[in-house]
Amino acid sequence: MLDGFTTHFIDLMKTVGLNFEFLTSGYEVRMWLDGMVTTLVLVVITIPISLIFGVLFAAALTSGKKWLAVPVRAYVELTRNTPTLVQLMCGFLVLNMLISNALGGAQNNPLTPFFWVVAITGLHVAAFHAEALRGGIEAVPSTTIEAARAIGFNSLQILRYVELPLAVRSALPSIINNLVNLVKLTTVGSAIAVGEITYASIMIWTQRDNVVELMLVILLFFSLINLVVARIGFWLEKRLAVPGFGQ
Amino acid sequence: MSLTVPTSTTLVELQDVHLSFGSNEVLKGIDLKVNKGDAVSIIGPSGSGKSTILRCINGLLIPQSGKITVGRTRVDELKTETERIALRKRIGIVFQQFNLFPHLTVLENITIAPRKILGISEAEANRHARDLLEKVRLEQKANAYPGQLSGGQQQRVAIARALAMRPELVLFDEVTSALDPETVGEVLAVIRDLVREGMTSILVTHEMRFAEEISDTVVFTENGLIVEHGTPDEIFSKSTNPRINSFVNGLGGRATPLHDGEGI
Repeated sequence: MLDGFTTHFIDLMKTVGLNFEFLTSGYEVRMWLDGMVTTLVLVVITIPISLIFGVLFAAALTSGKKWLAVPVRAYVELTRNTPTLVQLMCGFLVLNMLISNALGGAQNNPLTPFFWVVAITGLHVAAFHAEALRGGIEAVPSTTIEAARAIGFNSLQILRYVELPLAVRSALPSIINNLVNLVKLTTVGSAIAVGEITYASIMIWTQRDNVVELMLVILLFFSLINLVVARIGFWLEKRLAVPGFGQ
Repeated sequence: MSLTVPTSTTLVELQDVHLSFGSNEVLKGIDLKVNKGDAVSIIGPSGSGKSTILRCINGLLIPQSGKITVGRTRVDELKTETERIALRKRIGIVFQQFNLFPHLTVLENITIAPRKILGISEAEANRHARDLLEKVRLEQKANAYPGQLSGGQQQRVAIARALAMRPELVLFDEVTSALDPETVGEVLAVIRDLVREGMTSILVTHEMRFAEEISDTVVFTENGLIVEHGTPDEIFSKSTNPRINSFVNGLGGRATPLHDGEGI
């Protein structure tokens, strides 16, 4: 029945000049579907990683402690101002090689290309989250902080119960923007042979010359993911909205 | 001014407290004694260091020299932030601008410190908070957000929040200065109740009649010094200091007999 549907779909597409013949090849279809799954897994893993490190970086930047703020500031500037693709190559080709050498050969190195995509894109976007949150934390009135200190909160409690909840509310639109970018950024994995959807599509279209067809699917696929991300962000904004604050 | 040795009833004592911000000398030797259960009002022109005195008492500001005692704690000898936090838990403070947490409901504003700092259970904290809301006459606003309340209502929540930690002492820092005239009365009524119940209070205020009505002691500050202190009668009626007389008369006029419940 599924085969019937596939054949019907291929015929239908042919009438508008699109060639989806590859759907009849089990090997290519599997690679293509694996690519979609890999992209989804990348998205699901990198989003929380970027958020966790974004909060940590923002906490460090606003801590008032030089030994914390200065290195994180340096990292944020470096990662914001250089191309992610170059960072990925630096990580995978340079750092990874150094780690392999230190461990006595690539066979002992547990770090995969997949790890490097997650680490580089997640931490890259974390830098943008950190800047958005820093702005939100610094916008909390000093009088509100003074009240929190006077009531007996320590600086970590102030961050957790006062500064971050307020900062998240003001930074949320920027954070959602960053996450939409992060979803698209996962495609750099194709440069180091991580089998996400772009890489899988490249593998298929170099054999079949069906770039337009696969490109359409890639565009649709990412549009869908980001539609969901944006809707969740919008829902969160509504949910966190506080009457009489920031409106 | 005469200073006696702290007795068992002395809760707060400042001796020769000096504080500067850079080259700006704000406190130039403050001496102040507050007995347990007393209400002391600090009056004086803007910039005379009134609010700074309050912030020295709860360790938000650290003076360059002088002795500060709260109960048995030598505030000026506290070394770490942890020690100062332990002090602040015992002292409530209410600010001019209310400074409620805008993302928390009224009930959460009151319970967050007892829950997160003292580790009191949510049910117990909520029960206490509702009692306090009744005391400040806002029980029906428990689930409102600060942004939905008037200034006077927010300030009463701020008072309840300060009381939620069961403090030994409450500091009021010009708590009616940012309010509409018609809501000043409701806030003063709450403070009056507290003082009558015997809550030790130090008030920085411009409400002269209110200070005269509720205070056991009134001190007049000018240029970082306490120029005069005494009973309300001594300051408001019998002072021979022309500076005090003109200040008192300039703000709300000479005190006239006050009826219970009257705002200003």
